[in-house]
Amino acid sequence: MSDALPFDGLKVADFSWIGVGPITAKALGDHGATVVRVESESSIDRLRVVGPFKDGVAGIDRSQFFADFNSSKLGVTLDLKNPAGREIAYRLIAWSDLYIESFTAGTMDELGIGYDTARSLNPGIIMVSTCLMGQTGPAAAFAGYGYHAGAVAGFYEVTGWPDLPPDGPWMAYTDTVAPRFLTATVMAALDHRRRTGEGQYIDAAQIEMALHFLAPQIIDFSVSGRLATRNGNRSDSAAPHAVYPCKGEDQWCAIAVESEAQWKALRQAMGGPAWSENSKFQAASGRLENQDELDRDMSSWTKTMTPQEVLQRLQSVGVPSGVVQRSSDLLQDPQLAHRGFHRYLEHGEMGVVPYAGHQFRIAGYDNGPRWASPTLGQHNEAVLREVLGMSEDDITEAVVSGAVS
Amino acid sequence: MLSPYTVLDLTDDRGELASMVLGDLGADVIKIEPPEGSTSRRTGPFLEDAPEPERSLHFFAYNRNKHGVTLDLREEGGRRALLRLAQKADSIIESARPGEMAAMGLGFEALRKANPRIIYVAITPYGQDGPYAEFAASDLTLAAMGGPMSLQGDPERPPVRVTVPQVWSHVSVEAAVGALTAHARMLKTGEAQFVDISAQTVMVWTMLNAMVAHAIHGADTNRNGPVLQMGSLNVPVINECADGYVLVFGTGPVLAKMMPWLVGDGIVPPEWIDGEEWQTWDVRLFSQQPIRYSLEEVTEAIRRYVRPYTKRDLLERGLREGVTIAPVSTMEDVARFRQLEERGYWLQAPLSNGGQAPVPGVFARLTKTPMSVRRWPPKLGEHNLEILGAQEQR
Repeated sequence: MSDALPFDGLKVADFSWIGVGPITAKALGDHGATVVRVESESSIDRLRVVGPFKDGVAGIDRSQFFADFNSSKLGVTLDLKNPAGREIAYRLIAWSDLYIESFTAGTMDELGIGYDTARSLNPGIIMVSTCLMGQTGPAAAFAGYGYHAGAVAGFYEVTGWPDLPPDGPWMAYTDTVAPRFLTATVMAALDHRRRTGEGQYIDAAQIEMALHFLAPQIIDFSVSGRLATRNGNRSDSAAPHAVYPCKGEDQWCAIAVESEAQWKALRQAMGGPAWSENSKFQAASGRLENQDELDRDMSSWTKTMTPQEVLQRLQSVGVPSGVVQRSSDLLQDPQLAHRGFHRYLEHGEMGVVPYAGHQFRIAGYDNGPRWASPTLGQHNEAVLREVLGMSEDDITEAVVSGAVS
Repeated sequence: MLSPYTVLDLTDDRGELASMVLGDLGADVIKIEPPEGSTSRRTGPFLEDAPEPERSLHFFAYNRNKHGVTLDLREEGGRRALLRLAQKADSIIESARPGEMAAMGLGFEALRKANPRIIYVAITPYGQDGPYAEFAASDLTLAAMGGPMSLQGDPERPPVRVTVPQVWSHVSVEAAVGALTAHARMLKTGEAQFVDISAQTVMVWTMLNAMVAHAIHGADTNRNGPVLQMGSLNVPVINECADGYVLVFGTGPVLAKMMPWLVGDGIVPPEWIDGEEWQTWDVRLFSQQPIRYSLEEVTEAIRRYVRPYTKRDLLERGLREGVTIAPVSTMEDVARFRQLEERGYWLQAPLSNGGQAPVPGVFARLTKTPMSVRRWPPKLGEHNLEILGAQEQR
């Protein structure tokens, strides 16, 4: 039992697409659940047509954007507008413990596989609908991506430089927030079902999850009228607190001095340059007031070294510091290697490529994506035969009718 | 949903949202603070700008659905009390430096001795061991080391973080996922579980399509200002409007419905409407297939169209006609967003100065086990007597 996977035996029908739904289902699959990812050939998952593509060559089975979010799943393509395709969807819903979808509110009802249908097929089912704004309300039909929700939720306003237009966090930001909340919610609902047998319907609005990451600032606005906004890398209470240029092409090191002891340690590490003895830099308040000058002086020191050299010097005296790392740095990062973060998995079209691994490790078993993401329709027959137990005749008919394509 | 379970929260400002998520999902949470209070009570913003333990809006935002007790774990009595609480708890979440809890006799081994089915979740910057385990870290440095900063900001300036600290919020919610995953495993094995969560790896996951890009197409992704980087294409999406900015991404469905608007305002000639199969324009653009109108022409048309309108006008017209236009909301716009109001999202929370404030509500709507806020954040040591009993009170 010691190598038991937490969700071994759990059955997930993943009808979702893009980010939030697939990432949530993947978390369960990576930890042992059988996840069947349903895709449509006529309405391809948008991530399959956006890179990075293997070797820079576009192709629906060549996107690692898609692959990273769909490890440890079986892939099946269904035409849900074809009655025979819908029949197979019914079977999958009846088979599953958990049914996830992430389309614009109302879409599944229109396709004839909404919650009422799901519950009649499978009274104990847990069904999750997740979209940007929720299933109800005047903006329920707001159909977009995580960058839209990121802007509406306020994250763009607070990312970038005060004298430039909002920059925004990277990409579909709420897709990095919502799956965490949703996965926790689904796991709690599954535990409730395990104890009581009771299934239910979950309406998860991605904006309502993400806003918890700005909660202090939203509350602050309502009590003080203060509007949080973007301010580069500065902090209200700490200085130096910036990203400094280092030796090399576009190389940077982040330094955050959060206490007087750290300021003292930093001065020591720099060899006590004359500027750092200036009385206006003695107290945090003075450093905050004179940050432009402080940052210029700091840069004159950091520029003489690589970011790794700055990091080593500062870490040796306990000053919070970090190299601004890119994908290529992460792939060689010794700490990530120590944790076995990247997993090299063989994909049907891309060959062996690295997958981003797990964010937490549970002692006692191998934590990571179990197998590469499916190519489009890779497991069509396996799902029909082995998961749904369909006969050879039924499988042939499904293929001929175009239900499975 | 999690009402049978008790969670002990030993974290500071870096982990408090973890147990709040479990508490919102129904768990009974006991927040254990040192006698001087959690570091989050000293984290701003503060109510009326008064930096006092009961006035931190940061603490207030992340500690609802918790009982609050104080224990001095530097004292034998405090440590004994913690072990006694652990005997009746299901999980414990801490954010101490690697090895710090063990040095106090409160590490995983000690806790599992007290409770052989305990779930022990440890939150740290880089994990419990490895070459960076002892590194000093903060929100800024972890956004750097985890990668997202390399993707954010103007190319002529240094990379930027999200100004409002995000790292520990990501880590905390993922820690809740870790706790529940480990719980599912404990049900299978009957054994205590240790969960080691690394903030660095959590931040890697905020890079989305850029996480392993270099290994896939041989190049890193670099910051490039307010554009969406889709493969090798840079799509400008932030447009100035009459009272701020809106984000418009010209997907096929958006462009198909927007064309008559652009023609109506004289931005583009009428032949644009039928001159392109707009529904699939973006798919062809990104998959390097032929398109009639270029990305530059389309971007410029959108930019000119939105310029004279307000964020609200654009959002409302978009909602009426099914065109996705996202205002770049300020905190005020967020607080007044009609969608959230009509869904009854905001909850009125009592403040320590006797006032009230709307706070973010439950993060999911469940039909059978609705989430709720059963109690507001505790005052320092508020439940000492109730939970610790008379002798243990500190």
